[in-house]
Amino acid sequence: MRRLAAYQEVVPPLVLVVAAALLGTLVSVSTQAYFTDTLVKVTIVIALYVFIGNSGVLSFGHVAFVALGAWTAGVLTVPISEKPATMPNLAHFLMHRHVGSVTSLVLAAFVGAIAALLVGAPLMRLSGLAAGIATFAVLEITYNLLQYEERVGPGLNTFSSVPETTGLRQAGIGAAVCVVAAFLYARSRFGRLLRATREDDAAARAVGTSVYRQRLIAFTLSGALAGFAGGMYVHLLPVQIDSVHLDLTFITLAMLVVGGSGSLLGAVVGALAVSAIDSYLSVAENGTSLLGWHIDLPSGTAEIVVGVVMAAVLILRPNGITNGRELRLWR
Amino acid sequence: MTITWQNLADGVALGAIYALMAVGIGLVFGVLRLVNFAYGQLVMAGAFALAISSQQGWPLWVGIVLCFATVLVLSVAMDYLVFRPLRGHSPAVMLVATFAVAFLLENVALLKFGSLGKIATSVASLNRPWSIGGVDIRKISIVAVIVTVLCLFLLYVLLERTTIGLHMRAASMDSATARMLGVRANRVISFAVLISGAFAAVVAIMLTVQTPLVTPDFALRDTIVVLAGVVVGGLNRPIPATLGGFGIGFATGVLGGALPSAQSQYLPTFVFAVVILVLLVRPRGLFDFSKTVERV
Amino acid sequence: MTLVLDSLDVRYGGVHAVRELSLEVAPGEIVGLIGPNGAGKSSTLHAIMGLAPASGSVRLGDRELLGLRPEDVARAGVSLVPEGRRIFGELTVEENLRIGFAAHRARGGRLDDVYEQFPILHEFRSRQAGVLSGGQQQQLAIGRALVAEPEVLLLDEPSLGLAPSVVDVVFDALTAIKERGLGVLLVEQRAQRTVAAADRSVVLNSGLVRLTLTPADADDTEKLVGAYLA
Repeated sequence: MRRLAAYQEVVPPLVLVVAAALLGTLVSVSTQAYFTDTLVKVTIVIALYVFIGNSGVLSFGHVAFVALGAWTAGVLTVPISEKPATMPNLAHFLMHRHVGSVTSLVLAAFVGAIAALLVGAPLMRLSGLAAGIATFAVLEITYNLLQYEERVGPGLNTFSSVPETTGLRQAGIGAAVCVVAAFLYARSRFGRLLRATREDDAAARAVGTSVYRQRLIAFTLSGALAGFAGGMYVHLLPVQIDSVHLDLTFITLAMLVVGGSGSLLGAVVGALAVSAIDSYLSVAENGTSLLGWHIDLPSGTAEIVVGVVMAAVLILRPNGITNGRELRLWR
Repeated sequence: MTITWQNLADGVALGAIYALMAVGIGLVFGVLRLVNFAYGQLVMAGAFALAISSQQGWPLWVGIVLCFATVLVLSVAMDYLVFRPLRGHSPAVMLVATFAVAFLLENVALLKFGSLGKIATSVASLNRPWSIGGVDIRKISIVAVIVTVLCLFLLYVLLERTTIGLHMRAASMDSATARMLGVRANRVISFAVLISGAFAAVVAIMLTVQTPLVTPDFALRDTIVVLAGVVVGGLNRPIPATLGGFGIGFATGVLGGALPSAQSQYLPTFVFAVVILVLLVRPRGLFDFSKTVERV
Repeated sequence: MTLVLDSLDVRYGGVHAVRELSLEVAPGEIVGLIGPNGAGKSSTLHAIMGLAPASGSVRLGDRELLGLRPEDVARAGVSLVPEGRRIFGELTVEENLRIGFAAHRARGGRLDDVYEQFPILHEFRSRQAGVLSGGQQQQLAIGRALVAEPEVLLLDEPSLGLAPSVVDVVFDALTAIKERGLGVLLVEQRAQRTVAAADRSVVLNSGLVRLTLTPADADDTEKLVGAYLA
């Protein structure tokens, strides 16, 4: 029982993810899309937590790995017959290859990890503002390259003919897997060493912890999770380069901040809470009724409210809803 | 690639405008250690004010006054609602917060004005060329340089010859010691915010000449490019920051016009790769030769 | 006006730096605050200036200073010469001094007195402060604090890193300052020099007052060492 108690902190986030998935089965098919989208975003935010939460270092660039994952999975799962039509300039080895959806997810994670490793190698020496700016530069470079490089993807066009295999079940399982992966990392020696550097990196260095190495490990893992999320994303809806750029960066960062960047529970709670607000408001923009009142909000209100909430949380409760802590149900 | 006089003139003009933006961002960073990601939105707000005024057919001076008023009010609001409560937090938190504000304001504009935007034609006459020695140079290129030089000169006089300017310089070097000597932190910050806002208004006016269509993401790309330039030039000190802004504006203006589009489309990648390189190798910036120890 | 510290308590998170310190600095007297590293001497000065979290009371005359912002404490008439001097290296000497006017209670103010007391500053007035030597920078830091014409001058280890001859200049300046009617609270590591120069010296150790010494004790090495090691 003692051994099991050590794993208790994974339960609340896991329960929330599963509950969200189950709730999704109860609603209409059109509403289900919101839930699936939410669960994919949960995965992205978990990826952010793995790095930002444990290291205390800001990264604006993770959506670049989401984009790379989406590109990888998308390009490889479009039926070969369709490729010349939508992506005529695709490189030869990509043009004639096709894999199953699940395989594409694994490859997306792999690509995300490699990209993170290559990017992280020089960048993990940076902290604070420099890290924020440098990772933002990575995002912009990726955006620019994917926009115009038609040998690896659709460039400025939207992905089409990608099999829409990310349903509620797949997203739920994907999110759950990521929760477990993030939890195991955080509990591991690596996670603990990295968190030690977050608290006091001079002390951590003094006992021989390589801050650089721990950060790189976390960055790579988070790149894998982000890539995986990108793979799920491209199988959910038609992805275009602008949908994996600043807007997605903002909303996922907002989710992490609101939930509390210091804990896995925070990542999940934040993602679900902000998604709920955002989805509800988006629906309200099309006219809805709340407690008998008819609400018809102008388009764009959702993002504004999310922005205000995020700014308010940053100012009033910088550690987020969960105050950066996990939930322990006993002891 | 052939560079024409027009290209050079465009480059100098854009460089001048970006230099002003760089100073605006640098001033606030100096006293608050905060990078205002939402600076572009201030420019956008000013541009919308101009657009509304021009749509209503009001005279030019009304548009300009409206532009300044809008930007200054918005700047002060940002200062009180966001910057001050966040004082003392880590620079990274502040960056995320201003990112949130930028996102917010862009969406407010989207809500109010829609994505199609509005057109500001009041200052458009400056877009027409003067013929100088057989070469056509747009009036705005010359006006931009003159205005920028004037603004920078006024700022120089303020910083070097007035008491508040002295306090601002001291506060950006060592704000704790400055406060201990009696320098009023809030007053210094308010001043910096107001000047920064004034420059944003000027930038708005000049940018609408070349780009009369004002959309919610007006100046967003410019802000990102200017930020890159400021980081490369040197975030911590005003002159390197301004040089960085000018440099990147000049380079973008010249290359953007001179390079065929197939080659210029990867310009952002090159620019941001340089940013990363500078952050890794010379984090204080390429033009920062000062000896004081500062942390980015 | 007299500076009165009453049960001053300074805590940084879990560290109790200063415990219930009570102390008075009257006009025209130099009070030394000595003790080993980490005793809480700097923390005391920082608390007075509003730079450290503190409870208790710090009064100048009948005005409570605790809780005020640093710039307001300065304007109330307390000037700090910080540890490490913290001059603005890229500003000129004269500009450094002019910043001191920010805390001046009345409008205007002149640099003549400071230049008279520290002639070297007049000589270097248009040079960048960063080119001055350590001792000259210390004079600048003191001069800058005096420009505001404070009631009380606080000094945090002014002799740190200075050659003995330069230390003489600093201590002579302190005597002149005291004679003008200011109160001086001097934090120092050089116990003997301080005990000899001050009207009385308080020994602080682990945040508590251990002993009060007078100039007569300056040569009593045993007493000094004993106080430090208590």
